[in-house]
Amino acid sequence: MIKEFSFRFDELVLDLPLLEQSLGFGEGPLPEPIDEYLAEALAFAVDLPDIRCAYRLVDLDEPVHRSHKIVAEGIEFHVGHTVRHELKKSERLAFFICTAGAVISERSKALLLDGDPVLGYVYDLVGSFVAESAGDKMQEILLEQVSSSGEKITNRYSPGYCQWSVSEQHKLFSLFPDRCCGVSLTPSALMHPVKSISGVIGVGKEVKFREYRCAVCSSTDCVYRQIHQRSVMA
Amino acid sequence: MSELLTQIAECIEFGKINKVAPFPPQMKGQDGADELTARAIAEGVAVQDILTKGLMAGMEKVGIKFRENKIFVPQVLMSAKAMSTAMMHLKPFFASGEARQKGTFIIGTVLGDLHDIGKNLVAMMVEGNGYNVVDLGTDVPAAKFIAALEEYPGAVIGLSALLTTTMTNMDSITREIKKLKPETVVAIGGAPVNQEFCEKIGADYYSPDPQGVVEFLNRRIA
Repeated sequence: MIKEFSFRFDELVLDLPLLEQSLGFGEGPLPEPIDEYLAEALAFAVDLPDIRCAYRLVDLDEPVHRSHKIVAEGIEFHVGHTVRHELKKSERLAFFICTAGAVISERSKALLLDGDPVLGYVYDLVGSFVAESAGDKMQEILLEQVSSSGEKITNRYSPGYCQWSVSEQHKLFSLFPDRCCGVSLTPSALMHPVKSISGVIGVGKEVKFREYRCAVCSSTDCVYRQIHQRSVMA
Repeated sequence: MSELLTQIAECIEFGKINKVAPFPPQMKGQDGADELTARAIAEGVAVQDILTKGLMAGMEKVGIKFRENKIFVPQVLMSAKAMSTAMMHLKPFFASGEARQKGTFIIGTVLGDLHDIGKNLVAMMVEGNGYNVVDLGTDVPAAKFIAALEEYPGAVIGLSALLTTTMTNMDSITREIKKLKPETVVAIGGAPVNQEFCEKIGADYYSPDPQGVVEFLNRRIA
């Protein structure tokens, strides 16, 4: 069964210090006009009408630890060693799609193309943080649902990260109806609206949630690792 | 005169667009690239010197600092904005031939891919280092690159991709370009690609950062 949610911006918890650090100006207050740009983008985000998430809890067709792949609903996912290892004690999987919506994605794109690229970049970053925060909120709801039966959840893992090929996103989307949450997929596995995330979360009594998920992954050029490194340096 | 060029270079390096721009804080209230470039032209500084010793000198520092993770995307975009503001003063001199660009660089994000921030950074950095840049945008098929090559013979091609699913299109685009115009130089970049992939598809250069593309162009065609 698919559970779908719409969120208001004020229901989300954005990591504002991390957002500021991600702009790369180091310690202390942001300089003008970056501070004004960030305030503008955050004010714009307050009225976003299309922040949405959906997840689908499915049983595994076979235990993860017995296989090099993950099989659910008859679909074989080749998630790579890292993700498979993290999911190995899962009894169920929650596949998800979350989006900050088309409004902020299009606003950012328009500014990057024809307006002010710096402001467009700030909108782009805010859009990314909104999508991730919506993912956090969805994860809270999922945890609440499964904890009643004594289950826990893993971190969320996405195609395109931790050596899980982005092309597998087509398999993931096949578990949802067309344009679920308003998100569609191009043949090259690019999500529309672009400020969207998708992935999988392991569910089970023995699974672990990691505070720092980059520890399990060897990718060095991933955006999550870069953001983490900046937050450590700041 | 050299002091003025140094000041212009600093405006580009630190992203000081004009006098009213509040960024960067340490240059608040000072003239920016806009005013200083106009003043240099009015004072009779050779336009080619303004380009090479002022604007390009500043942009080169931006590229190096970005490569070394000393500055991040917003600062580069600020510098690019200062650069394009100054370049508006130089445009008439390019048309008259008094100032010369080093060559033409045609850039685009390959078919199937809509990511453009990385591609834009490369375009800005290359333009800021004295090249004419033709930006074909995103989701660009081989035919569009080839049409641009017809218009700008001898131009270098830059291909960008952010996804493992779209980097494969670099292969077909490079092959089609090389089939029709074997002498064309093709440079590639983007998160999923590397030197090994570059060699495999028959491209001429891979760079993990924008400054690498600038240095390659300077070696190859400038």
